[in-house]
Amino acid sequence: MDKAQLKRALHIAAAILVVVLAIGLYKAKTDAARTETHVRQLQTQIGETEAELRGLRAAIAAQESPGRIEAMSEEQLDLAVGGQSSALPESAIGETLPSPRRAQRP
Amino acid sequence: MRPLPFLAADRAAAAPAEAAPVRQRVRFLAIGILAVLLLLAARATQLAFSGDPLAGPRGGAIAAAARADVVDRNGVLLATSVRAFALTATPSLVWNAEETALALKRLFPELERSATVRRLSDSSRRLVFLRRALSPAEREQVLALGLAGIGFEAEDRRVYPQGVLAAHALGFTDVDLNPLAGIERGLEAEIRAAGQAGRAVRLSLDVRMQYALETELDRAARAAGASGGAAILLDGRSGEVFALASWPRFDPNAAGQASAAQMRDRVAGDVHELGSTIKPFTLAAALQEEVTATGELFDLSRPFDIDGNPIEDHEPISGLVGLRDILAHSSNIGAARLALRLGGARQRSYFERLGLTAPARLQVGRNQAPIAPAARGRRDVAGLGFGYGLAATPAALARAYTVFANQGARVEPTMLLRAPGDAIERTPVFSPEITRQVLAYLRFAVTDGTGRAAEIPGLAVAGKTGTAEQWGADAYEEGRNFSSFAGIFPAADPRYVIVLALDETGAGEAGGAVAAPAVARTLRRIAPMLGLRVEPRAEE
Repeated sequence: MDKAQLKRALHIAAAILVVVLAIGLYKAKTDAARTETHVRQLQTQIGETEAELRGLRAAIAAQESPGRIEAMSEEQLDLAVGGQSSALPESAIGETLPSPRRAQRP
Repeated sequence: MRPLPFLAADRAAAAPAEAAPVRQRVRFLAIGILAVLLLLAARATQLAFSGDPLAGPRGGAIAAAARADVVDRNGVLLATSVRAFALTATPSLVWNAEETALALKRLFPELERSATVRRLSDSSRRLVFLRRALSPAEREQVLALGLAGIGFEAEDRRVYPQGVLAAHALGFTDVDLNPLAGIERGLEAEIRAAGQAGRAVRLSLDVRMQYALETELDRAARAAGASGGAAILLDGRSGEVFALASWPRFDPNAAGQASAAQMRDRVAGDVHELGSTIKPFTLAAALQEEVTATGELFDLSRPFDIDGNPIEDHEPISGLVGLRDILAHSSNIGAARLALRLGGARQRSYFERLGLTAPARLQVGRNQAPIAPAARGRRDVAGLGFGYGLAATPAALARAYTVFANQGARVEPTMLLRAPGDAIERTPVFSPEITRQVLAYLRFAVTDGTGRAAEIPGLAVAGKTGTAEQWGADAYEEGRNFSSFAGIFPAADPRYVIVLALDETGAGEAGGAVAAPAVARTLRRIAPMLGLRVEPRAEE
């Protein structure tokens, strides 16, 4: 291969490289734009989900409010407020409950 | 085929002259291409080493919440921002303004039809807002109508999942999330900063205790026919407020429908002459300044005359009594005598150190300053000794009572949960010995004095009742009282402070009759939450 042919081959290779680079750059930009769009979609989705979660957390807190729990315990379990204070004092436990049985020897 | 000899000779002769500019152009082209290649290579290298171009902040990033969630000390949600929608219209796209307005009014009766028609017909505007803060369900209802030109803009709405619970403490915002009251206003900067950081603001409140206090305050206020009520429960050592209640209540989710009286925070926002709940401080100051001694006896059987103004006790005390009985029987005469011995200047100094002459610093938006004029004579000094002539908030009174939980030092109440190891500022007022002595007197006031209704077997409550007549048109009115109870418990290891007050109670409805029982009922419910044991009621 003489010098002129070598030059021509180099020019052709350089031209191909430029075209490949241009196409590669275009593809990279397109991919980046697509990814960015996807990221934005995901961010919007996350925002929506977070908003829904906040709403759900608020609903749960409302369901678990002390007033509602108290009303339910009175209505369904017959446990009125103040039940704790009507528990037996320590001193009366021994008199009210039977003493523990001693284990029988075999 | 070989070239003709004459042509080959011509070309050979012409070649050097024609080839030179062509070669020059090719060289320029090659240099240009090389330059472009170098530029591309440099940019590619820069991109390769400049990190992820998608990792940086972008315009479409998730918007941080404008206001952070507010939770109680156990993480229970008290306030949050949820997705809402503003109802909008594009007038140029609305087909029939009359029908559209009618359809919307069926869903939202508060929308005035004529005004809506006018706005829907205003083609000079690109977009008009018709209603704010629609819930997702309301949005669905509007969508189902299929109205042309009607749309929505997403926005945040502040909601309070606990409803009326802790409403006065939390406060509320307007539709644009601007704070208007409560901690929404008092902690505005913290709530916004926490919202940007994506964390919650944790309060010292406990919803369980808050519920118990509010329920009992509501019950007591209704039973006494009071016009208002206030109550505060706090850890006297750290200053953390566990519960803070005002009555009547309102729902901050519908604050616009509440009256001014309902929305009034009476704990830090209302001042009253506090009455006999001040007497323990008069007694402690007198002991501290050694103008009296533990063993001194007083004859309180006759009215005490000050420059022609007689001071009397509600129930005359016969015989000689000690300091303990002055508190237990809430003697105005005894407190007035001690106050006069103390003198106006020293009395003022103690009130200042107790924080009774300055507004509380609770983070609730508004702390009303006390009305505390300087005493102008013996009568004023005597009156201040038993709680007249100085008007302060229940929050300020609770702050003063923290001296009994800190061996004589005052602690500033706070609505924020303290981290372990946080420095707590303490202002010394009384010596530990004097504080213990007065605390023992306060315990006696509950076991044998005017505060008997606050006694809870097993819990050892110490405290003082207060019944202050309220100023009418030109005189104090007997039938209009400010009835209160200020307590510390457990007396053996004083830590917690509670103040409960009822406004405009009737004649005979003294603090010991209406406020002390409410405190007892509240503490029975709250004690187990604080790890304290109470004995069962005798009647149960």
